Amino acid sequence: MNPVAKSPIRVTGSSTVVHGWEVSNRQSSAALRLSDVTPLAKVLIKSDAHSRFAASHPIAFGQVRVLFKGVLEIGCDPGAWLLVGSVGTASDLVATATTSTADVGEFISVIDITHGRAMMRLSGVDSPRLLNKICAIDLSDSVTPNHSAFRSSVAKLVTDVIRDDLADSTRSYLIHCERSSGQHLFDCILDAGIEFGIDVDGAGFS
Amino acid sequence: MSQNRRADRQAGEVIDRNAPVVFSWEGKNYTGFAGDTIVSALAANGVDIFSRSFKYKRPRGVLSASFHDPNCTVQVDDEPNVRGAHRQVQQGMTISPENVWPSLAVDVRSINQFISRFLSAGFYYKTFMKPQRLWPMYQKILGRFAAGGITSPNAEHGYFDKRYIHVDVCVAGGGPAGIAAAIAAAKAGASVLLVEEEYHIGGHLRYGGASDLQTLAELRREVAALSNIEVLTNAAVTARYDMNWIGVIQRQPDILVNGHQIHERLCKVRANTLIVASGLIERPYVFEGNDLAGIMLSTGVRRLLNLHAVLPGKTAVVFTANADGDACAADLKRAGLHVTIVDARNGENIVRATGGKRIKSVQLGDGKSISCDLLIIAVGWTANVPLLNMAGDRPVYDKDAARFFPTDRLPESVLVAGGLVGDGSTNELIAHGSSIGTNSAARSGFGSVVSIPSLARVQHPELYRSTTHGYVDYSEDVSSKDLFAAKKEGYDSIELVKRYTTVTMGPSQGKLESVNAVAIMAEAHGVSDFNTIGTTVWRPPYVPITLGALGGRGFENTRYSPMQSWHEAHNASPLVAGDWIRPEHYGDPSAEVANVRTNVGLIDVTPLGKLDMRGRDVAKLLNLLYVNKFLKLEVGAVRYGVMCAEDGVVMDDGVTGRLGENHYMMTTTSSGAATVWEWAENWLQTEHPDWEVHIAPVTTAFASINIAGPKSRELLARVVEGVDLSNAAFPYMNVRQGSVAGIADCFMWRIGFTGELSFEIHVPASYGLHVWETLIETGKDLGVGPFGIEAQRIMRLEKGHFIVGQDTDGLTVGFGADLEWCIKLDKDDFVGKPELNWQSQRSNYQRLVGLQPVDPNVVPTEASQLVEGTRSIVGRITSSRFSPTLKRSICLGYVEPRLAVPGTVITCQLPDRSRIQVTVMEGLAHFDPSGSRMKS
Repeated sequence: MNPVAKSPIRVTGSSTVVHGWEVSNRQSSAALRLSDVTPLAKVLIKSDAHSRFAASHPIAFGQVRVLFKGVLEIGCDPGAWLLVGSVGTASDLVATATTSTADVGEFISVIDITHGRAMMRLSGVDSPRLLNKICAIDLSDSVTPNHSAFRSSVAKLVTDVIRDDLADSTRSYLIHCERSSGQHLFDCILDAGIEFGIDVDGAGFS
Repeated sequence: MSQNRRADRQAGEVIDRNAPVVFSWEGKNYTGFAGDTIVSALAANGVDIFSRSFKYKRPRGVLSASFHDPNCTVQVDDEPNVRGAHRQVQQGMTISPENVWPSLAVDVRSINQFISRFLSAGFYYKTFMKPQRLWPMYQKILGRFAAGGITSPNAEHGYFDKRYIHVDVCVAGGGPAGIAAAIAAAKAGASVLLVEEEYHIGGHLRYGGASDLQTLAELRREVAALSNIEVLTNAAVTARYDMNWIGVIQRQPDILVNGHQIHERLCKVRANTLIVASGLIERPYVFEGNDLAGIMLSTGVRRLLNLHAVLPGKTAVVFTANADGDACAADLKRAGLHVTIVDARNGENIVRATGGKRIKSVQLGDGKSISCDLLIIAVGWTANVPLLNMAGDRPVYDKDAARFFPTDRLPESVLVAGGLVGDGSTNELIAHGSSIGTNSAARSGFGSVVSIPSLARVQHPELYRSTTHGYVDYSEDVSSKDLFAAKKEGYDSIELVKRYTTVTMGPSQGKLESVNAVAIMAEAHGVSDFNTIGTTVWRPPYVPITLGALGGRGFENTRYSPMQSWHEAHNASPLVAGDWIRPEHYGDPSAEVANVRTNVGLIDVTPLGKLDMRGRDVAKLLNLLYVNKFLKLEVGAVRYGVMCAEDGVVMDDGVTGRLGENHYMMTTTSSGAATVWEWAENWLQTEHPDWEVHIAPVTTAFASINIAGPKSRELLARVVEGVDLSNAAFPYMNVRQGSVAGIADCFMWRIGFTGELSFEIHVPASYGLHVWETLIETGKDLGVGPFGIEAQRIMRLEKGHFIVGQDTDGLTVGFGADLEWCIKLDKDDFVGKPELNWQSQRSNYQRLVGLQPVDPNVVPTEASQLVEGTRSIVGRITSSRFSPTLKRSICLGYVEPRLAVPGTVITCQLPDRSRIQVTVMEGLAHFDPSGSRMKS
């Protein structure tokens, strides 16, 4: 039997295996939904904040872009970027990032942190109101527009928040923290979302 | 009981006569209507008395019928100190008076009022001081007089919440000016938060006449139509801090969470502009008998009558000095009461009220006496300026208008609207608020600035105290006599008078009484300009906030390893270790030790801090941070290292393995993971930014499992691919990379914290449970079993391995912790070297030694003192356990250097003060001191 990778967040309802990861089958049509998307590939690219690479990079700290289909690139720290890709693509992303930065001529590290982070997606028009129960950041369009990112305390936990609205413009956030606190953060978001009718949705990726 | 004082339907009433509400008061059932406050519902049923006063236990009735009413604090079910003149009554409420003895009708402590001349200001400071031994008795007696309700330890924990709000404009006060400001700002495009203390916006328009109600309806329609206005009712702006960081307490928002209403929500608001439109609060008049039930402020009467359709009496005397008093008189006449006007503007005055539990007559200044059951006071206003104080302003008294006004000392981000600024008709107040709102929006880039229409200051007679003395502070039972007495005792400053007499220090916090207190102090000083007396300064919070609201939801992080579900399923006893939940043991720690020493055991060590370090200068960084050498660590090797801070105190320890030419993996103590990461980054970024080192915290990216015991090699060999586990190919203190249980990208190293042959494997965390279960299943025939933290602690103590934080503290120096072998002073430089160098030249620090009690069956409690004689402490026990392997008690501890000689016997005093003898051992290890087992 092939080993199955498990998220730190307990599966709600029945589960299936997608690209070697156990994921929930649960489907929800609630207006506000929370999904465990921990299985998404997560690769960290580290450079020097003052390097030529950083200065010439298309996105800076706090910005997000679609690097190519299915892959988000997030300026997660000064001089550091996080690639978030489809499930099971971490090795490919590492290889791609390593190759593309090999000729830069500067010190750059590429690290697969897929297993080190818990990640969840919060979607729905009330998602900023929910987050503002547990996070002090101004989530208005003028301060944190779509494809912006920040690191802040969410439910008293160091958390990276990426605004990544859905294709139909529904407000959506990718939220991630270090792995062992994933269940805690998931539970806190659910608790905060009760008044908005939040529901747990399956992973929402294939 | 019938609602015998319920008036006919009023135009602006907020009660729903189709929704009766049954509740109990003092054990009797009453009926009110939805929309009633507790007090209005009781008053409609003929109840006059709602509380007993703080010191003299005088019966008190409704005064202002608002949140700030000092006389209407009650207990509701398990909730103490509820503002009964504000809180809406609900079906099934059990309401009771607070701190009455034996009852509200008859409180024997009211005898105090007859000895009041012995209980003047400062009474508590002067009495009960001697004899000191009687204080416990005094305390019990005084406790019976303390105000406040009862908090049951069995009360259900309410749901309290927090919320952050970011808006362009926050408006404090939902009266006409505040509403107009919100509308104007929103129409300009700004996001607006409108905060109103009452259950509905409208301010005084709510209990005004027909035109007021029509205006209010229009304002409400406009607010409802603007989606960028959020209205918080039954809420209060409690504080304004720098940069308009604003606290708002929202009481009982209409939100259900799992069937429970949110009790309170603390909103932390960041607003570009704060508009203070908190208006005016009607102030009482000081005269003899002014606290009798049936004496009310005009606004209180209008609230009761016009909002709740309650007739507050039958025969009324209205002592008025302004139009609001006149309007109140008109309302009462319309409701059918017999009304007598005493007009202060014509020089008329009242000097005394008499009665028992309710007023019976009032004596005028000309000596005439009028029988009545209701006396209405309308003698002026207190500007509601706490938020202005918090913004840095010190309002100034205007003698002609008889109230305080804001100055121009406010920051640009704080604007003032409406009655605080001046007087005017409703339309003038709305126009003023609207222009302020427009300008607040302009501050956020919406629209442009307009000119502000002025509001006049209408002349008003100064009416504070009659020719007699009465109560100034109803909450604290402070009278004008007390203030005069304080002046006689030399208290000149109003701030000192406040603290000495406690005037304005009660639950209403001076909202009603502060200006009267200043006026009476001015009178006592013989000055007419209040500004020479000064004012007390309001500090946050504007209204009380419950501790529950301040606490909000409990967000204490809990961290779990990937194997947590297995631990739970196998009856692991949970150990809270910082944020982590770890298995302390699985039932029998001694058996777990025996199994590891005999067979093989697994322990989940995932919380160990792990830092992925890459770059050509990692070795330099390690050499800087650790006291030992790392420049020559070879690829595939692992080295133990100790970190000291600049002061030479032991900070952390762990092992670091070199995985590749420029790739290292550092482990730290579980509790030190974050600290060491910050420490390393700090030295790297501030002292050596030129070094090529990247550090990534990967503590939870890997599930970490220590496989320990003589059969550990055999077990691991069954699941490892690509790694030769033989002692020759994979010796002690080496690291290898390969696959474990089919999982690639694992690394494993040979270390020996338990003193046994052991392999610590680190696998991608998402597969941690799979690897753990595979090892358990694969090793059944080898006797594999899990062991917890307790067994690990026993075994490391047997081996004499210290734990940073357990066997060290914030004063433990490197040389004291038996680390001479590790500290390399011949290195060029490293963190702590100067201090460690100095340590090496002296010997005045205690030394870590192995200790064994002479009686092998006694395990001294950790932290027991090592002593000489009866007064001299010469050391302490840091770790102690009964060793299942050695069948005796063993310890680590610190002793003075002269005692750190093997064979020395020292006295150990246990917590029960009994004493035992312990012997200093040769080295720290009690078991296998040569390390032959772990190196096998």
